[in-house]
Order: sequence, then structure tokens, then C-alpha cells
Amino acid sequence: MEITNILFAGVGGQGILTSSRILALAAVHAGLDVKMSEVHGMAQRGGNVDTHVRIGHKVPSSLIPEGAAHFVVAFEKLEALRYMHFLRPGGTAFVCPQEIHPLALNLRKDESYVKDVDAVLRAHAPNLVWVDAVSMAKEAGDLRMVNVILLGALSTRLSMKEEDWEAAIRERFSAKVQEACLASFKRGIAYVSAPV
Amino acid sequence: MPKLMLGNEAVARGAWEARAAFGSGYPGTPSTEILEALSTYPDVTVQWAPNEKVGYEVCMGASLAGVRALVTMKHVGLNVAADPFFSSSYMGVNGGLVVVSADDPGMASSQDEQDNRSMARAAKVLMVEPYDAEEARWMTREAFALSERFDSPVLVRMTTRVCHHTGVVHPAERAEWASKGFIKDIPKYVLLPSHARLRRAKVGERLEKALAFAEQSDLWNPIFKGSSEIGVITSGVSFGYVRETMPEASVLKLGITNPLPMERIRAFAKTVKRLVVVEELEPYVEEAVRAAGLAVEGRSLLPDTGELNLPLVEKALLGNAQDQITVDMAGVKVPGRPPTLCPGCSHRGIFTLFRDMKLRVMGDIGCYTLGALKPLAAMDACMCMGASVGMAEGLEMFGGPKEKGKTVGVIGDSTFFHSGIPGLIDMIVHGSHATLVILDNRWTAMTGGQPHPGTGKDIHGADAPRLNVAEVCRALGVKRVREVDPYDLEATRAALEEELAAPEVSVVVAVAPCLLGGRIPKGEPVSIDLDLCNRCGACIRVGCMAIHEKDGFPDVDPDLCGGCGVCEQVCEPGAIVLPSGK
Repeated sequence: MEITNILFAGVGGQGILTSSRILALAAVHAGLDVKMSEVHGMAQRGGNVDTHVRIGHKVPSSLIPEGAAHFVVAFEKLEALRYMHFLRPGGTAFVCPQEIHPLALNLRKDESYVKDVDAVLRAHAPNLVWVDAVSMAKEAGDLRMVNVILLGALSTRLSMKEEDWEAAIRERFSAKVQEACLASFKRGIAYVSAPV
Repeated sequence: MPKLMLGNEAVARGAWEARAAFGSGYPGTPSTEILEALSTYPDVTVQWAPNEKVGYEVCMGASLAGVRALVTMKHVGLNVAADPFFSSSYMGVNGGLVVVSADDPGMASSQDEQDNRSMARAAKVLMVEPYDAEEARWMTREAFALSERFDSPVLVRMTTRVCHHTGVVHPAERAEWASKGFIKDIPKYVLLPSHARLRRAKVGERLEKALAFAEQSDLWNPIFKGSSEIGVITSGVSFGYVRETMPEASVLKLGITNPLPMERIRAFAKTVKRLVVVEELEPYVEEAVRAAGLAVEGRSLLPDTGELNLPLVEKALLGNAQDQITVDMAGVKVPGRPPTLCPGCSHRGIFTLFRDMKLRVMGDIGCYTLGALKPLAAMDACMCMGASVGMAEGLEMFGGPKEKGKTVGVIGDSTFFHSGIPGLIDMIVHGSHATLVILDNRWTAMTGGQPHPGTGKDIHGADAPRLNVAEVCRALGVKRVREVDPYDLEATRAALEEELAAPEVSVVVAVAPCLLGGRIPKGEPVSIDLDLCNRCGACIRVGCMAIHEKDGFPDVDPDLCGGCGVCEQVCEPGAIVLPSGK
């Protein structure tokens, strides 16, 4: 079994670490080896955050090289652009269409966000799947569900079974929110499985 | 049942399995989570110390009492603890003493990337290097046994990528172990010069014994037999890159890297045509191998700064790193997203004032170091923990009329307790005119909100004695000590102006708790009256993520803004409106 590489990208505080941990837990429940690399410390203060998850029968190292990710899961559009070059040929990007503005330095000629970011993304990501997890989470009544919705979408392309994911979600979340998380996870699956 | 653990959590697990009775240290990325994880286990006492030196010394006391103790720190923390580290090497241990140094190649969260393997060699202390979480568990566990067997502290040398990767761990039962109690031994434990000279001989004997062990240990220093074309010597995180890049290569993996098993290395070298060392940072192993007269490559193939990764090791070993990047992002300029003070952070107002008052600012280590970044850019130097105080004293003394009445040191409360107090004593006894600003937000914030002596909580969140920063300064002898609310810019500015003008040492304590982790509920956001806005940009220049430009005007993100009011106070036309009731 070849190692599958999944890169999560977003802004500190968006739940990137939690998502990566659930994915890694699902891999353990499926009896696979997994290594993931995370960011702690100064970078978390509003900076961009990326985590690398590598899954296989035997995973020797934890960092995904540029151009080697099977999947990029981006919680924010600018961060999707920043990490797009990690995708390998034929790789897929799941992008949540959210915009979080980096710190502006100047009012008059602000260049803190890419203009026409949607078009730029479309032009550069050969396989781009928009997952509007923020709207779906708002509909579900809890913004914190964004990460499990994105994981639901991602899960349709990975080898782990739904019960492995369920076990991972139950392990990670308190009993109080487990059912809501599982329901949101399924919304993510349904979203990308629905015929266009 | 295998468990998923962070490398740091696995270190804690290993210490618990070894029946460590005590853990101490000072928070510092990438080491912080070790003690936090250890504090969740039963039967172990865990404390945050005011600094690494104290943490080390309390652990030494615990070791002398006969129990096993773990002390953790980041690489630069070992500089602070270097004094007891070097001397404890001569004393040896009673209960096992394990020191974790979490090095930071690439400086993800640090001011330098020193390679602490050199520290272990210089102190003549045993050192082990785990490569992943499972090794972090068993090597930490076994490090306690090595410590007692060879009568030495043992350094577990971690790096950011080992600390902060998560992997599959196979937890084991706890070891059988019981305290021997204190054993009186004056020549061993009282390092008078006459005793120390005797102990130095013992240190030599101990290293000989440890070397003999390392030479024959297949567990610690395993050889993976492969092709005779190339043999790679490696340790720590680099082992994974080597195995993945060249599964067919012969590999000598060093788990014990002080003392270095040179006969084992020599024997390994004889079995291969080409010998390469793959290691991060300093050519620590490579130079030793070369000094032993062996032909070896290493730094000629790999950089001596930053982290290694698969492409770098591929290029070094195979000479043909493929240019795999297929998504061509040329022509797309993605704006950076540097770390920044949180929206609502109490430091923002202080640094806005420093900038607007054109002060000379000697900074320190913490979240507030971010005050050096644009658009605040209100810090002129930052070196190491506690240094702001002494640097402010020296700069004010010799800066001439330009710096007179303009120089401040700025330091966080945790950093003040860590190593700022001796600097303040120096200012007092030498009659410095500089002003020290202490940012008292009650927590060690940058590392995620650990308690310190001014917090009033222990590592479990239970109530603990609390030291008051202003009272400590007064007790030391500072006559001009005042507390300010850093959200009140006018009052804080007035206080700074008065204290800067005073011809004696003065301390301004800015008191406002850190907002991190939802300890303080987010308030209602401000709003902007665009009819009043003159687009001067003053609100943008306080450097808050909650305000950005939209169609040429400032725009507030209500999900981020908690209505702290700093931008409202710098808005001259009064276009920023506070939430009602504030």
C-alpha cells in the first residue's frame, strides 16, 4: 500500500489540529500506520497553519514533500492558494469558501488578499471541490462543525470505513456533541456524493 | 492496544511507565506539552518552575531523595539550566534524572537553532535521541534506567518534528521500581574542588562504561543490513527520511549519541563502500567519525541549518530530487499571514503608544515580541529571556541625550519571574533612569497559557499562592511602581510620560489578563460610522486582525472583534463606535 498524503491548511484557531487528529485516529482504527506533523507555538497566533497526515501500512516520516499530497483540505481560500503546490499530479483540493483577511498594513492600497481569489483557485487547481462547510455548519446551528463536515467530504476518497471514522469521532468528542458531529460528518459525505 | 500520541505525550507516557515521581520545567515550544501530559497521570507530582534552572535543581533534589525525576525545557532553556546541568554531571544521581531538551531546527518558535548534542558532549552527560513517538516513549522510560546504571543525568534530545508529530505508540505496563531514599555521601554530592577532582575521574570511568554498553547494544544502536554500496549513519528524525528515501541502504541508527560508539561505527563502515552521515544542524556525528580517521560524507551533501526533509535527503543520497511540483503557482502572489497579537490583546495599546511616543524599546521573549512586526514595529531589540531589563539599563546609560528619557524595557510577567528580577536589581543598585514596563497578563501566554508564580494556579488549575508583580518590585526597592490599565490609552500614556521623565528607576505594570482559551468571554464588536471616517488609517495601524480594508474604508469583522476599544481611542474623527454600554 502506497502512503497516502493529506495536507490540511488554514488559519490558527480553525480546528485544523482537531481535524488532523480525527483523520489519524480513523487510520489507527482501520489498523493502519500513521504519522502526522503539526504546528504549535508562535505560528498559531493568527498565522497560517498546516498539518501533514501520512497514512499507510508503514509510514517512516511525517512531512509531506511539495508536489506529493494526494489531498489538500483547505479551510480558507487564501490558504488553499498558499498550499496548492503541495498537490501531486491528479491530486484533489477540498476548499471551504471562507475568507479570513490577514493583517492589513495600509488602508489606501491594501494588498492583504488576492483579488478574484475564486478564479485564481479554479485556474490553478485541476481537481477542485468546493465544500461550503461554513454555511452547512451554520444550518446545523454550530460553527464548530466545519471540520467534521470537511472530513466527511474527504472520507469519500479514503480507504477507511465509515465505522472507523465513527469510532474516531466518538473517541475525540465528548458524549454531548458526538451525535451532532456524526450527523455533520454525514452531511459532508452526502454533499460530495450528491449528483451534480 | 496502540494509541495515537504526540511525541511529547509519548515522553510523558515513558516517564510515567518508569515510575517517575516528579516532573518540573519551564514552558517553551516545542517542549511544553510534555509536563502538561505528565500532569494527567496519577502518582506523579508535576510543577511548572519559574525557570529551567530552578526546575532542574528541584529535580536534582528529588533525585537525591531517591526518586526518579524528569525535567523538560526547550533548547535555549538548557542554557539557563546549564549551570546545574554541567555540575550535576559530576555529582551523578541517586534516583534516575532525565533531562529533555527540545531543540528547534529551523527556528519555528525560537531565537536560535543551537544543537544541544554539543551540550551533552561538553557536560559529559549520556544522551539518547528518539526518532518518533514510540521511541520517545521507550527511550524516555529506559533513560531512567541508564541514568541509575551509569550514575549520570541522561539528556533525551528531541527536536520540533519529533515533539510535534503524532504517531502510533504501544504503551507498556509500568516498571517495577522503588525509591532507595536519601543516601548520605558528602564527597559525591558536595562539589568542593577537592571532591570535584575525584568526581571528574568518576565521570571518565562512567563514560567508559557507558561507551562499552553503547558499542554492544543492538537495541539502542541497531544496524539495518542492506546494500554494501552505501551505508548511512543517522539518528533522530532523520532516520525516517533515510529509510523512506533509500530502503535498500545499510543503516546504522544511533539511539545513544553520547558517548558515540566509534568501534561500532568503524565496523559498520567496513561493510559498505560509501559512508554518509545524515543529521540535522551541526556535523556532530560526522566530525567525530572523520576525527576517527574514516572517510565520510555529510555536510557536503546537506545543509547545516534548518530541518531536513524527504527532498533534501533524496537529493543527498540519490542525487536526483525530482522536481515534482505540478501545480504552477508562478505569477500568483499569495500575501503572507504572519503571526500577530490576538484581537483584543492587552499588549496592542501599549505597543501603539510605544510607537506613537517614538520610544526606544528593549523587548523580551513572549507574545509581545510580535510588537516588533508591522504595522506596530515598536521594538528595537529582543535577545533572550529576561534580557530586556539589562539591555534597557545599558542602552539608557550610554545612548546619550537621544535615548535619555526615551528608553523602556518591556517584559512579560512570566518572563519577569523567569529571569527579569536580577536585571531589575541591577537597575536599582546602579541608579538606572530607565523605565521597565511589565506586561502582567497573568499567564505564560505564548506557549498556550501555562500558570506562573503570578497566576495563582498550579498546573492542574487548582488555587496556588500568587506573587504580585508590583509588590515584588516595591519589595526589591523600586520607589516608583505603578499599575495601569493598558486598555486605557490616555492614562497609560500619562503614566509612561511621567515615569520616563523621572530621574530614577521606575516600573509600570500593565495589568490585564490574557484573553486566550476563552477565559474571558468575547465582548460585542465595535462598529464604524463611515460618514465620519476620514480614511486616515489610524485604526488599521494598531495592527488588529479584526479590522481590514473594504472598498477603501476600514471594515470590522464582528466574529473576531470583542470591542476592546483600542482602535476607538486612536480614531480622531470618532468614527469607531463602541458597543452600547461600554
